[in-house]
Amino acid sequence: MYRVPLGNWSEHVVSFLQNNVQPLFDAVTTVVNGMYNGVDWVLGKPEPLLLAAILAVVAFWLRGPLSGVLAFLGLALIDSLQLWTPAMQTLSQVIVASVITILLAVPLGIWSARSRWGNALLRPVLDLMQTMPAFVYLIPGIFFFGTGIVPAAIATIVFSMPPGVRMTDLGIRQVDGELVEAAEAFGTTPRNTLLRVQLPLALPTILAGLNQVIMLALSMVVISAMVGAPGLGQSIYTAISQVNVGMGVEGGTAVVILAMYLDRMTAALGERVSPLGRRALAKANSARGLSVLRYRPASAVAGIGVLVIALVAGGLNLAQDKGSDATPAASSSTDVGHGQSVNLGYINWDEDVASSYLWQDVLQQRGFKPNLQLMDVGALYASMAKGSTDFELDSWLPTTHASYWAQYQKDLVDLGSWYGPTSLEIAVPSYVTDVRTLADLKGKASEFGGKITGIEPGAGEMKLLQTKVLPGYGLDKDYQLTASSTASMLADLDRSVRSKTPIAVALWSPHWAYSKYHLTKLTDPQGLFGAGDRIHTLANKSFPGKFPQISQWLKSFRMAQSDLTDLENAVHAAGTGHEQQAVQSWLAKHPGLVDQLAPVPGGSPQDSGHGKTVTLGYFPWDEDIAASYLWDDLLTRRGYKVNLQQFDVGSMFTAMSNGQVDFELDGWLPHAQSQYWAKYHKDLVNLGAWYSPTSLEITVPSYVKDVHSLSDLAAHASEFGGRIIGIEPGTGEMSLVKSSVLPAYGLDKNFTLVAGSSPAMLADLERAYAKKQPIAVVLWSPHWAYSKYSLTKLADPKGAFGAHDQIDSLANKDFPQKFPQIAGWLKNFHLTEAQLGSLENDIQQAGQGNEAKAVQTWLAANPGVEDTLTPGT
Amino acid sequence: MTTLEADQLFKVFGRKPDDAVDRLRGGVDREVLRAEGTTAAVVDASFHVEPGEIFVVMGLSGSGKSTLLRMLNGLTRPTSGRVLFGGQNLTTLPDKELRAVRSRRISMVFQHFALFPHRSVLENAGYGLQVQQVPREERDRRAAEALRLVSLEGWEQSWPDELSGGMQQRVGLARALATDADLLLMDESFSALDPLIRREMQDQLLEIQHNLRKSIVFITHDLNEAMRLGDRIAVMRDGRIVQQGTPAEIVLAPADDYVAAFVEDVDRDRVLGRASQSAATTAGGTAMESADAEGSR
Repeated sequence: MYRVPLGNWSEHVVSFLQNNVQPLFDAVTTVVNGMYNGVDWVLGKPEPLLLAAILAVVAFWLRGPLSGVLAFLGLALIDSLQLWTPAMQTLSQVIVASVITILLAVPLGIWSARSRWGNALLRPVLDLMQTMPAFVYLIPGIFFFGTGIVPAAIATIVFSMPPGVRMTDLGIRQVDGELVEAAEAFGTTPRNTLLRVQLPLALPTILAGLNQVIMLALSMVVISAMVGAPGLGQSIYTAISQVNVGMGVEGGTAVVILAMYLDRMTAALGERVSPLGRRALAKANSARGLSVLRYRPASAVAGIGVLVIALVAGGLNLAQDKGSDATPAASSSTDVGHGQSVNLGYINWDEDVASSYLWQDVLQQRGFKPNLQLMDVGALYASMAKGSTDFELDSWLPTTHASYWAQYQKDLVDLGSWYGPTSLEIAVPSYVTDVRTLADLKGKASEFGGKITGIEPGAGEMKLLQTKVLPGYGLDKDYQLTASSTASMLADLDRSVRSKTPIAVALWSPHWAYSKYHLTKLTDPQGLFGAGDRIHTLANKSFPGKFPQISQWLKSFRMAQSDLTDLENAVHAAGTGHEQQAVQSWLAKHPGLVDQLAPVPGGSPQDSGHGKTVTLGYFPWDEDIAASYLWDDLLTRRGYKVNLQQFDVGSMFTAMSNGQVDFELDGWLPHAQSQYWAKYHKDLVNLGAWYSPTSLEITVPSYVKDVHSLSDLAAHASEFGGRIIGIEPGTGEMSLVKSSVLPAYGLDKNFTLVAGSSPAMLADLERAYAKKQPIAVVLWSPHWAYSKYSLTKLADPKGAFGAHDQIDSLANKDFPQKFPQIAGWLKNFHLTEAQLGSLENDIQQAGQGNEAKAVQTWLAANPGVEDTLTPGT
Repeated sequence: MTTLEADQLFKVFGRKPDDAVDRLRGGVDREVLRAEGTTAAVVDASFHVEPGEIFVVMGLSGSGKSTLLRMLNGLTRPTSGRVLFGGQNLTTLPDKELRAVRSRRISMVFQHFALFPHRSVLENAGYGLQVQQVPREERDRRAAEALRLVSLEGWEQSWPDELSGGMQQRVGLARALATDADLLLMDESFSALDPLIRREMQDQLLEIQHNLRKSIVFITHDLNEAMRLGDRIAVMRDGRIVQQGTPAEIVLAPADDYVAAFVEDVDRDRVLGRASQSAATTAGGTAMESADAEGSR
């Protein structure tokens, strides 16, 4: 049966939207962010208890004194659980999402009630919004809206909109038809019929819809946390992944308190706001008689109460702000960040929490404004690929996070690993005494219930177990690998350990479970788990360009196991919410570590140039542009001031011999430039070859199957139209081809050598290549065309092209004394054909004027090159 | 004062209504159309209502009388035919002007009162004036006056749900009277009330009509009510008006067996008493009419 490529289509739609509607998404992001920040500022600013008092007055106004007291107690409990700030963040998020939802839902509901079309159109859309699992659009949401509050709010809006629309629709339809007719009979316009009759009468139903909207919005808090939205969801999400029951209950309780408050208040809002509700309330009160418990202050009284408390709160805040102005910041000498904010994403794994808080502190000390975001793994990668997260510290490669890396690789850059090796394993409690290796598991399936408890189905370890490890030990028949989540695996482990029942779980080291329980890591005699992951630092590909300093620091970041576990323990012991203090006191016990992790320029070993100016000459030839811009970048990073100058061959040698140019990188020796070398070599020094061999050749695309050598060409003249596409007529290669190569292979009769220019030749090649037509061109190596196209260099068995050159770095003879460090680096400088080809190609793609940028991107994509070429002292 | 004239009104619901009207004119029975899924609610209805006259349309439920009434103020657009009111053809009037006519010159009283539950009695009575954008003070004054007319002074600040059915319908009547419209459309306005209250309301309506002399089109399925209120009566059956005339004419000379069966149980003496009064009205003297009206009670 035909496979409907729905998945492909949606990916196309997503990328189309990303490319074409991004400004709209950006506008939405700005608006939602602005709203959230505003609301959060208002809710987060006052003293918790004062705000609790204000909210209690609102409860008093809406529902009477008992509700007021209960509201205050509930909110005070949140404060005492130290969850006030996240609770207010959650409240802000719910308020913003609900306001936007209602603003959209009420008009849509009205439309649906009044138009048959609207109703028919909206119904399936609403069904889709309500039932499509939020995760499905949460991750793409990151592409459009980045991480944090906005995609969370959007997902919340999508999820909570349907009841808003439906209840509005229902409310309006429920209004007695005779009333609407009466309004019309008195000449009311449709608009006024809606405003004066339908909406007021539908208001109780619409408010019930609002109540539903708010409740659904609250139910999204945990899912919101997975894309980095702050609030109670984060602590619940953390609790889930750490199987921290206590923390989960506290966070959950706070959510429940907020939910009850919002639910009761919005329900009561109907009685206060809608005329019908007011009517019903008055009736009920007159029936029961007024009592103290049912007393509700008039709106004006309540308003004054709120105002008074708000003024007190404002006053206290002013006083507090004055006090807090003295917060110490990075001192000017170490302030390299200048308040630049950088988004650091992290997942809920202990080593990531520890290392991320560590770097948060380090970066703060360096004057950056690091912004820590807790996220789900998938969300983290998506967010980093989009650039809303700058970097993260916990990628287990090459196995565990392989699928994420494969998917987002092109937008990311690997800043190297800071810890390793880790290991993946199957572990059993050590009271299961007869199982020591994976092979021991065989035949004991019944003991373990035929089950190995796994983690998230997408995890690399699961794939490895399924495809390699279990079959390798013959366990795949007897055991079933159950996929669930890390949290439930750990919960399972905990339960089994308590009841001393055998269990086998998929685990990895380092992991705190090893210190909490006595576990046996099953050895892997066949080595099927592989060499073990290392923990890598990944960043968005633009990160090294945007934050060269931080990239530099991260690249040299390493941590020993003892340090890491020490830090993890410190963070773990301090408890959630106190990570930062834990890191600070840990750092205090490790003086000098900050300077080691993030050396400041000036005292930095990286800055060995101290602003010394060095002049680098180059020819406008592809390989020299590439190499020279590469060194321009490298030397600048090392503190040199590079003066890049373009020359033609003759004047270059002159300038270099008299010291106007310090060095150049494109000496084709011993042949092509031999005459210049002969003339000037006494004032110059050869620092050695960085590329060899070069060659001149005739090349055909590799889809021309039967032509591999120049001697093959003669028989295929008609295929190539009897033409060999050449370059500029005056060049050495052209005369070589004309005078010796073509005659040597008897090609001078059947082939015309077409003279033109290098760009024209390349354009011809591009066109022919696109159409898969045969073409033969005069080319040379190194050339970026070899990395852009798949080409066959035709062999030259008769040696008609002559001997090969190599490319040397040449310098003025005083250069090694004046710039010993650069001279040392250049002597060891070497690029492979692939490296040079890809660099040339990148520069070619970036276009003229963007060479420096292209080099930076290339360096970022080739981590380690920098350190190899310009190692520190 | 203005005359209301209905001229060959048709209302057909369903597919191809214009076709259906042509076929009905050509004598096709409406049962034939019903089998095709097209409902002819009103077929070829023509009548006129003079100023100061109560014109009762009587018929069983489903006879099309409510549809006919709604065509008179344009709530339902006729499929064919014209409604002329005060020299204007309401059928061709654009929505905006039609709303203006409804707001100032035609008002309506409903079967189930249709009071706005979120408005006080006074606000309900003043609703039509609010639509006309009469300033609040004048609106309240005129609404209170209309409430006094229906003997509801003192109840202005109450809510509709605090009133009995009869009182609620008096608010409905006050709402209709407050706009000072020339034409009152009353759709089974007293049917939902207890017989005693209904009687009271009928008396009150007659008294008000005696003073204000509006044109009233009154829909009912109750023959006694029709006889009691109507200066002239139209009997409807299956969408057609089968007979028009004074109550006496209807009782004494029923047009067909259907009408005859209908009027069988009517208290003839009463009707004939009213009939003589009606005849007097048509003959002309106001003073004499009012004396007779007193006498007939």
